[in-house]
Amino acid sequence: MRQPGAYSNLLSGGKMGPHSLPLARIKKIMKKSGEDVKMISGEAPIVFSKACELFIEELTKRAWAMTLQRKTRTMHKEDVAAAVMETDIFDFLVGLVSHTPNPSATLES
Amino acid sequence: MVDSIGPNHSNKQRGLRSSPYTNYAAAAVSGEEEGALKEQERLLPIANVGRIMKQILPPNAKISKEAKETMQECVSEFISFVTGEASDKCHREKRKTVNGDDICWALGSLGFDDYGDSLKRYLVRYRETEGERVANQNKAAAAAEAETRAGGVSPLHFGFDLMEKRRIN
Repeated sequence: MRQPGAYSNLLSGGKMGPHSLPLARIKKIMKKSGEDVKMISGEAPIVFSKACELFIEELTKRAWAMTLQRKTRTMHKEDVAAAVMETDIFDFLVGLVSHTPNPSATLES
Repeated sequence: MVDSIGPNHSNKQRGLRSSPYTNYAAAAVSGEEEGALKEQERLLPIANVGRIMKQILPPNAKISKEAKETMQECVSEFISFVTGEASDKCHREKRKTVNGDDICWALGSLGFDDYGDSLKRYLVRYRETEGERVANQNKAAAAAEAETRAGGVSPLHFGFDLMEKRRIN
């Protein structure tokens, strides 16, 4: 699939680094979000790759604050859950962190 | 000599085209494994997610696998959530294509103002660079067209290429 290659070449030329998240996968997830989502411009997954980075960074920092409260240096999923509960803009995640099935419990990696 | 094509193709194909036929093919794929593959498609890779998490934390920080998995789930939910909002806006405005501006708007609308602002700047820079790249391609295409006119290669070839690159359907 040439698309991601074209963009990396463009962006590694200087001002912007290559993406740290796969554009094709982002596009797939976008499409699954609803029946109405049919056409996606080429730049939308690129914007999302940056937005997801910012999102991961913010949630991770807040989760880390919870980890430190437990006086330990290993972040657990409970810390992520606690950060979600604490932050208004993460309300959409409350249902998810309350009962996320643990994939590693059901299958061998 | 017969090449094997179609459903009996090797498992390597699965990564390239996730059609139901390639999954059906390998008799070794159990129901559980198949579920796991579908699971992977709706999540961003754990290695990428884990790396971003690690980079923002102090060097001696440790992250459990469960925490990374939870983060994967959260990011996918984030993408769905924001896309839904952007898509609704497009629908209201009778537009068919969700673009970068719609994503920026949706982020602001859902409370992620900081993201929206810095991403607008990112988008402006991206479009500028894209404009340069397209202009350079046009120059190259024009030069190539002059060269190949005698050779009979259709000059429209480059035009269609550009269109393909600009739009994901």
